[in-house]
Amino acid sequence: METELIHYILTHKELHYRLAYSYTRNKEDALDIVQDSIVKAIHYQNTLKSKEALHPWFCRILINTAKTFLKKQKHFIPLDEVSPEKLPSHSEKPTYNLLLEEALNHLSYNEKTIIFLRYIEDLELREIAKLLHQNLSTVKSTLYRTQRKLQLLLEKD
Amino acid sequence: MNLMSKQKNQADLSETFADYLDQIEIPEELNAIVDSAIQRTKPLKERNMNMKKFAKHTIAASFIGLMGFVGSVNLSPTFASSISDLPLLGSLVKVVNLRQFEYQASTYNATLEAPVIEGLEDEALQKSLNTKYLEENKKLYEAFEKDVAKMEQFDSPGHLGVDSGFEIKTNTEDILSIARYVVNTVGSSSTTMTYDTIDKKNEILITLPSLFIDEEYISIISENIKTQMKERMKQDENLVYWIEGDEGALEGFDRINVHQPFYITAEGKLIISFDKYEVSPGFMGIQEFEIPTEVIEPLLVSSLYIH
Repeated sequence: METELIHYILTHKELHYRLAYSYTRNKEDALDIVQDSIVKAIHYQNTLKSKEALHPWFCRILINTAKTFLKKQKHFIPLDEVSPEKLPSHSEKPTYNLLLEEALNHLSYNEKTIIFLRYIEDLELREIAKLLHQNLSTVKSTLYRTQRKLQLLLEKD
Repeated sequence: MNLMSKQKNQADLSETFADYLDQIEIPEELNAIVDSAIQRTKPLKERNMNMKKFAKHTIAASFIGLMGFVGSVNLSPTFASSISDLPLLGSLVKVVNLRQFEYQASTYNATLEAPVIEGLEDEALQKSLNTKYLEENKKLYEAFEKDVAKMEQFDSPGHLGVDSGFEIKTNTEDILSIARYVVNTVGSSSTTMTYDTIDKKNEILITLPSLFIDEEYISIISENIKTQMKERMKQDENLVYWIEGDEGALEGFDRINVHQPFYITAEGKLIISFDKYEVSPGFMGIQEFEIPTEVIEPLLVSSLYIH
């Protein structure tokens, strides 16, 4: 298992960095999350049952690490406290997809996570449901609701 | 919204995300960070040729600067002063410092030291412990030699370091607890600790299971540690422990091992120890937990060692 895990980590590092970055919007924090997730994954590799589960299993470690991290760093701003001037986007490069970034800020942590797992990590709904301990229909309806919300936010401007 | 436009919009969203992801730049440091995270979780002997890539970013671990001779038993001045601070120096059982091996080259350093126990009447016990200490250092040395040979094949060799030594945790009339550490430095450093606790009067090696009437201690101690971890995290927001069952985490501390590293303090308290990365991220280092005696009292074989 160890060899497969390391191969997986090496081949997916950019994807994982991007997922971590989507939560933190900050290079250093995202690198920290990737690093801690790898150490954790290797340390707890015996909790991994089969090879097929590797991708969702690692994503879960990564999003849990990101969640803990955001809480500790107090960067975790609940949805209703977000106001436009608080958005970190202005400090980023202007080439950034500001519209989507801003739209993402209007999502709850759970909505964001489902959207990220679907669109960044390309997980199937069934896998997302299992990973988040939610039932399939809840995940489905959250995803559709969130997609519509994003579309509306993106069309608005 | 009809089905057609719904599908179209979903495709748009995928495209928007693909765009968004492309615009997140991958920092140069990512490779080095991923490599060192993988590397630090592996024991020295399993390290591979990847070490060169991130070796440049390393800082060698600091070594304790004791003077000594290869292969000769010597009681170092630093150590002698530290032991005289402890009560009962007159006790017949003592520990001396053996500098087994020292190697300092431009980018490689190794300092291997082993404790040597003297004065136990049970010579078989004394010999088995002393042999174990020497054998462990011999293995570390062999692994280090191999790593150096591998590193030599590169044009610009990086840092390699190994440092072993010991610390007297407790030395009372009844108990001697010795902690031994190994610090490996390739990329980042990792530290492993091992402990031996000896009943000096009865001349027996105390193991964790031998302290308790049955194996229930595993769950009692584990639960207490989890409570302490949560308490510590509440007190200080910067601390992070990985606890099983937290926020749906599959991966985290659940139970101590039957032979979890431990030592006993001069006050008769049980301390459970975890290596770096075992229950928390690297910045937290080695973690120790004092188990309140009242928690484990009903399970103790006697109150001789722990009280």
